[in-house]
Amino acid sequence: MGRVAGKKIFSIMALCAMVGLLLLPIAVSLPSLAMGADAPDAVKKEGEAKVEKGRDVYYKTEGIVVGAPAPKTVDGPRDYPRYNFESRVLLWFANQQHLYYGSFVLAVPIFCMVIEFMGVVTKDKAMAKRYDQLAYDFIKISLTAYSLTAILGGILIFTFLTLYPAFFGYLSGIFRPVMHIYALMFVAESGTLYIYYYGWDKMRDGFLKWIHLSMSVILNVIGTLLMFLANSWIGFMMSPAGVDEQGRYLGNIWHVIHTALWNPLNVHRILGNMAFGGGVVAAYAAYKFLASKTDEDRAHYDWMGYIAMALGVAFLIPLPFAGYWLMREVYAYRQQMGITLMGGLLAWLFIIQATMIGILFLSTNYYLWQALGRMRGAEKYQRYIKYLVFILCCGYLVFITPHTIVMTPAELKAMGGQQHPVLGNYGVMSAKNGGINVIITTTILSFVWYMRGNKVSTVSWSKFGNIFMGVFFACAYVNIIWLAIYGYYIPANVRVGLSVPQVATTLSCLFFMFPLNAAMMKGAKQMGAIEWGKISVRSQYALIMLATAFTWMMGLMGYIRSSVRLFWHVNEIMRDNSPWAYTHTVGFAANMISFNVLFFWVSILFVFWLGSLGMKKAPVEAKAGVPGGAPQPAGGH
Amino acid sequence: MGMTVVYVVVSLAVCITYFLAVDHFLMDSQGLDFWYLFRK
Repeated sequence: MGRVAGKKIFSIMALCAMVGLLLLPIAVSLPSLAMGADAPDAVKKEGEAKVEKGRDVYYKTEGIVVGAPAPKTVDGPRDYPRYNFESRVLLWFANQQHLYYGSFVLAVPIFCMVIEFMGVVTKDKAMAKRYDQLAYDFIKISLTAYSLTAILGGILIFTFLTLYPAFFGYLSGIFRPVMHIYALMFVAESGTLYIYYYGWDKMRDGFLKWIHLSMSVILNVIGTLLMFLANSWIGFMMSPAGVDEQGRYLGNIWHVIHTALWNPLNVHRILGNMAFGGGVVAAYAAYKFLASKTDEDRAHYDWMGYIAMALGVAFLIPLPFAGYWLMREVYAYRQQMGITLMGGLLAWLFIIQATMIGILFLSTNYYLWQALGRMRGAEKYQRYIKYLVFILCCGYLVFITPHTIVMTPAELKAMGGQQHPVLGNYGVMSAKNGGINVIITTTILSFVWYMRGNKVSTVSWSKFGNIFMGVFFACAYVNIIWLAIYGYYIPANVRVGLSVPQVATTLSCLFFMFPLNAAMMKGAKQMGAIEWGKISVRSQYALIMLATAFTWMMGLMGYIRSSVRLFWHVNEIMRDNSPWAYTHTVGFAANMISFNVLFFWVSILFVFWLGSLGMKKAPVEAKAGVPGGAPQPAGGH
Repeated sequence: MGMTVVYVVVSLAVCITYFLAVDHFLMDSQGLDFWYLFRK
């Protein structure tokens, strides 16, 4: 008893220490932030003659200049020292790898938190144990990846310092008031992660479990804040604020952080990281499923893959809408930037992006249809899948149709212009919005089918519920397609607003049909158990495809976002005068992205292998998580 | 069969009204006229 009380006290102390660590950067930063505000006063005291005022390029407020202007670099060893290689490509590689691993280690603890919470609130004890083991497996994978993330972060800083010293010096000078916060947050993140991981067994039950769960919340708060700080750098590079037109810091660090694109970038990156993390864990589970020798292992990894995929897709569905918001803010900030992205130099990369998004949703749907095969009673849906395939293909083909096509002069002459007389009509935003919304709505429908695969509703109003659900989806499709067609007949300034009701229609399906389905399936009659592990091998390749496509798309979108600055290090403030201040060809960029994806997957396989070494050493622990005996998770699936 | 027709009619009425309301009010909130073509 005394030992339990001691553990409790120790756990509470550990939690308090973590909260303290979390608050430490803020406490330490207060004098520094205040110093940022006081700095002008200090300057004043030195003499009125030295005070110089500047106007914020974004907020348009006046402030006292406290920083040096952005350096005017020249191509040479002083500003751009180099090896016998393109420096930008080296930086691209270091940055991308750090970002992949960073995204992974930020996303996985969020999954752990969700799954551990599910385990704590689930009444079925066997199921709770399985959720707990699953969360533990997840964090174990991310622990090795965490070390690699730190190493890659170090490599990235050295690459910046070695190859772009002038630019890095300027940027770190601007962000100096929050640099130490970033470092301290990193220490707090590491400390919390290690206590969270190594305290798992000791804090397995009762009150201690809640303390452990609270630690995962703190861990994720720190991780998210770290990401927000990192995002403020790229936000500043794209849409600078808090400096005057010469790039001189005006003493308000909040203006520097809170740029025009910071919030959309934050939302887009959180969703993107979660979808990416889900994809990587699902691919890990698929790899382990394919390598499994026993039915028990196959059942466990099939379940793990499903949970990871479901969590990832839950964040993938709103991701395109966050992307729209980001693009909208880019247009609002600088129209020219938006045009360069979506209608100019980088437009073809968006066609590739559309192709990848389509592949992501097609893979997800394919996996769900295959997953229906492990349920007895789900056969009734199989004959309708071909109609979903048709709808998805139509949406996909419209979504990837380019507005104009790259052609030879002879081809151009034969076609009578850059735009195809028939297909060209589908290469506009009105049609594309319709296409992607049809794809997402179909994915939601596939999920609804999956969730009711082996069940028959027993509620008294089930007939009305089924009819209402069918009519709601049908009307949603009609509304999306109608709005897409309507867009062709109204002026551009009205048309642009149609995307909002289109998105709202898709989200209505998500937010109304999921709860309605859950209400209908409460106490439903089971036609048969879910036979975990009895799924086609093809489905596992779909999971690997999902993860690979997501990794490739992340690399592509990062490149697009970075390239839109064209020949600027910091947009309209600090010019890039290196020999590489040009935009690469689409082919070169695609090869570089593929190389980054390949490197990431080879290295993450190494991480998985390291993780499997630990599992072999603790066979008893691993056995606890096998869900082969009980075929289905609690609370639906 | 009779109830099925009633359910379909009620569902259609609710869904059509809902989606038209979504179209109208979300365009209106952006200062745009959803019925532009029909008013012209």
